[in-house]
Amino acid sequence: MQLIYNTIKFTLDDGIGHLVLSQPPSNAMTLEFFLELGILVGKMQEMQSLKAIIISGEGRHFSSGAALNELLGLADIPSKGENQRNGTVLMDLLNRNLDAFLFFEQTEIPVISAIRGACLGSAFELAIFSHFRFCSEDAVIGLPETTFGLIPGIGGISGVAALAGKSIAMELILRGNTFTGLEALKMNLVDGIFPKKQVVASSIEFARSIIRNYNKRKKNLYLQRMIK
Amino acid sequence: MNILFDVTDNIGIIKINNPPGNFLVKPEFMPIDELKNWIDANHLKGILVGGTGRHFSGGAKLDDLYALAKDTGKMHEEMDRGKILLNYIKTLNIPVIAAIQGSCFGGGLEIALACHIRICSENALFAFPEINQQLMPGLGGIGAMKEKSSFHEAMAFILGGDMINAEEALCMKIVDQIVPYGELFNHSFTLLKKMTSGRELKVIHYVMKALHNTNSLSKEDAMKEDTVMFCELAKDVVERRKKGE
Repeated sequence: MQLIYNTIKFTLDDGIGHLVLSQPPSNAMTLEFFLELGILVGKMQEMQSLKAIIISGEGRHFSSGAALNELLGLADIPSKGENQRNGTVLMDLLNRNLDAFLFFEQTEIPVISAIRGACLGSAFELAIFSHFRFCSEDAVIGLPETTFGLIPGIGGISGVAALAGKSIAMELILRGNTFTGLEALKMNLVDGIFPKKQVVASSIEFARSIIRNYNKRKKNLYLQRMIK
Repeated sequence: MNILFDVTDNIGIIKINNPPGNFLVKPEFMPIDELKNWIDANHLKGILVGGTGRHFSGGAKLDDLYALAKDTGKMHEEMDRGKILLNYIKTLNIPVIAAIQGSCFGGGLEIALACHIRICSENALFAFPEINQQLMPGLGGIGAMKEKSSFHEAMAFILGGDMINAEEALCMKIVDQIVPYGELFNHSFTLLKKMTSGRELKVIHYVMKALHNTNSLSKEDAMKEDTVMFCELAKDVVERRKKGE
């Protein structure tokens, strides 16, 4: 089965759902992307035969993150809905998107982000909601929001603090610098490194090895088994 | 003066200044109101805490402690003031880095643990020696240790009362980074600059608030708060752009 959107390609192949961010070269997360991701998540929740999800980017990069100017365009438009606290259209969009991101964390089937090239801002936030993150050694990862006068807005702060500890989270987020896949591994922000051309293939192989009786609370056990 | 305050480029520098050992004169090692005013008046974006000379701090002096213990009521009051100060530092909305060299013992270590990031030089030494005098850390150091290290590591360290070196402290996550002796201050200051220069104070406050929220709110509620703060900052960015800044 295949679902083709303007910004995402989704293929269900033998139980494994391949969610590909598909606006090359940078696979920027545009407003259209956020809307389409929400639609796709709704459909995935109904797919009985979906047993694992692998998220990756088309071409050389995972994604450069949110299309900032598009988001900022919604920042001062008041929300029409029932939203409290000076709601804006931007807040509605991000709240809906947070729900979509949370699906990946809360689902009981394995979710793996296969990261090559750039994985910045909201794209890294999306990856953080995956159960596993694998990347290439030279992947370029970071949360640069503070350098634009913003903060990571879709769960990235809690996620990084939970994985790497508050001290590292504080440094990374306030500095807003990028770091490599190898550095991310040392900080516990990713779970494994593969050669660039094999990141996706290895993620698929790993997914197949854990699909049966998968229990996301046994993450460390699966990783130990993989290393052996 | 037992504490020196200095400001460079919106970064505050606090030095425990009671050489050679930098012993703490009392649990509230600096007046909290003075600290608050100093932060506000200088629009501080970050704080560096260190010691004058070769050591961070040797903690409380036993004689002082025993003298204080004669008056139970006063001791309680002073300990409470100390805890309020350390909790204030821990929950500050700007980053606080402890730059640790030489000895960092007892109350000194509790101060370091209240800071957000700990950087030490290769020659740093850490201990809770309280147990050797039939005492225990009294300013929240036990809870702070347990947050950083595992239960058994914290227990062995506090009950053992032994000194550990920088490498061991790094393994136990008591410190975040080790740098060569002599580079400690510059390295820590540069890091704080990289984390704060060019950032609006509000952005720094919101990042810190979001990080503190991860302790006080459920994960989902913390994330929802992040979204609210993001939207507010986005509005600010748009307004600044409209004004052509």
